[in-house]
Amino acid sequence: MTYQDIHELLPFRANGTLDGADLAAVDAALAEDADLRAELAALTAIRATMRAEEVASPGDFGLARLMRDVDAETRVAAPVAANDNVVPLMRLRIWQVAAAVVLAVGIGFNLPQFGPSTAPMDSAEPAGFTLASGGADADFTVVFAPDATEAEMRALLLQAGLEIVSGPSALGIYGLGLIDAETSDAAFAALSASAIVEDVQ
Amino acid sequence: MSADHKFLIEQIAQGDKQALAALYRALERPVYKFIVSRLNDPHEASDILHEVFMDVWRSAGRFEGRSKVQTWIMGIAYRKSIDAMRKRGRMDLTDETPDMADDGPDQETCLAAGQEAEHVRHCLETLKDDHRSAITLAFYQDMTYGEIAEVAGVPEGTIKTRIFHAKKLLMRCLSGRVERGVA
Repeated sequence: MTYQDIHELLPFRANGTLDGADLAAVDAALAEDADLRAELAALTAIRATMRAEEVASPGDFGLARLMRDVDAETRVAAPVAANDNVVPLMRLRIWQVAAAVVLAVGIGFNLPQFGPSTAPMDSAEPAGFTLASGGADADFTVVFAPDATEAEMRALLLQAGLEIVSGPSALGIYGLGLIDAETSDAAFAALSASAIVEDVQ
Repeated sequence: MSADHKFLIEQIAQGDKQALAALYRALERPVYKFIVSRLNDPHEASDILHEVFMDVWRSAGRFEGRSKVQTWIMGIAYRKSIDAMRKRGRMDLTDETPDMADDGPDQETCLAAGQEAEHVRHCLETLKDDHRSAITLAFYQDMTYGEIAEVAGVPEGTIKTRIFHAKKLLMRCLSGRVERGVA
């Protein structure tokens, strides 16, 4: 193994993924070369610094967006039979959807399930997705436009002083909570005026 | 852990959204960290992360299990990041490297001199994308050179060369900053 081979493998000695002949060769070189040991120490420090750096990932917000789009895609992939009398669910007002759900439950009628699920039909938990944070009481419920990006949604919620407390439901409905209860009117106005909000209640 | 991920992929392939949510929670942070290290734009990185997991949802049935699930997903993230950079028109796909002397005295001392994170962040940003990707996968994700080669879709020797040059340029940059007293 050449000097360059050893140098090429040194970062993988630092991350602990070398084994077998590679590990033996690098360790033998390290035992004889103080400069190489110093370089390994530097690489180890760089690795530790990189790994310690915190990055604010999208978290639950990104997951909610993912589930919304997966639900939407599943609905497109499995359309119901054509019926001119049926209004697409996403175009109904939220209260109309809620009323339809109540009616369906009242007459013992199961709404169509989108996509296969491993959950048993009599499970105590709903078959759909739920956020880890649970479904706390929402001050508003909204439906975002299907093409709304995560950045747009985040900007709107920050501007309006809101956070997601539940959702998305199978119908793409989010529950939003006020961070400061005194900003309720302003938040409602911001949601109503936003181009990425299809419906707000 | 790897076996858990494979089980989740099998469930996702059958349309299990809860399994997708579980896999997202398990891998969202490392995948996002990798993407944002390449694009240096958190908003765009969020969108790419979203696209990656949409692809996982759509193509889980095609996962053959020949690699780790994380390696497979990083490969998707790698390709989508390249697409994003091509759209921006700032993609440099060559492996050419500036001819620089290996003048890295006391680099470990440089890192002990304080401001480590800022220095490392700055110096990573000066690397070409393929170099930065390789060093990021090696140090953020602790991947083997074989796994990095699989993610990037290049031979293992290419990855070793990229890492070698990335390491040299990183050391040089760090030494230079500390010698110049950059805070």
